[in-house]
Amino acid sequence: MTNDRKKQMQDRPSGFGNPWLQLALSVACVLVSEFLLKRGATEVANTDSAWSWTGVNGLASPLVWWAILLIIASFISWLYVLRYIPITIAFPLSRVVDILVPLGCWIFLGELISPLRWCGIALVIIGLALVAKPIAQIEERL
Amino acid sequence: MSILAFFFIVVSLLSFVVAQLVLKRAMEVSATSGLRNSRFLSLIAIGTALMTVSFFLTLGLLQRFDLSYLYPFQGLSVIFITLTAAVVLKEKLSLRLIVGAVLISAGIVLVSMS
Repeated sequence: MTNDRKKQMQDRPSGFGNPWLQLALSVACVLVSEFLLKRGATEVANTDSAWSWTGVNGLASPLVWWAILLIIASFISWLYVLRYIPITIAFPLSRVVDILVPLGCWIFLGELISPLRWCGIALVIIGLALVAKPIAQIEERL
Repeated sequence: MSILAFFFIVVSLLSFVVAQLVLKRAMEVSATSGLRNSRFLSLIAIGTALMTVSFFLTLGLLQRFDLSYLYPFQGLSVIFITLTAAVVLKEKLSLRLIVGAVLISAGIVLVSMS
């Protein structure tokens, strides 16, 4: 890590501007937006119509609009986080959402998750944890 | 799962990954030549359009499938990025990356069978 980077990380603002708090908020916004999108989509689901594959009918649900607001909020706080925390640290941490989403599906959305699906989810999470850092490095250069 | 659903999942993820890369390029352009130039604006427009496509396709998919079923497919984006890096950056992939990609692929196969 260069001295500039170190200095940048030491000069972090505190309180609401604390980048670690913002990282947590960003993750929370992503998490809640996923559940709102699912609830919203289920609310207006019209699977008989081929048009519903485009998802545009989802805009009829207020929950989807709340989800859009949260997605924008998570994006803004993520950009803020990246000013203070290197992406190779922030990105792997942000992937905790990959564990929280399936748990939330089970606890909050009441989805029935078979043992086969849990095994698949676990493999994906382990794989993502392994590659999070190298992927963040590759994305910086692409 | 139908072939149609799988097709939409892949298109949605691909447009998301490409959008991320395009927006990142836009930020790099803005750092060197400012915000008021046509290249920056067109990159932002393309990136936003692709993000929108990805968003609505996801909304269509969520009307048909559980979130716990669809969510793990996001791991595919890692596979796309890895392949792109191998082709574009002509990099030798690390063992860690390959093992991770294999685990993710296996996990997605299990989820799609569930």
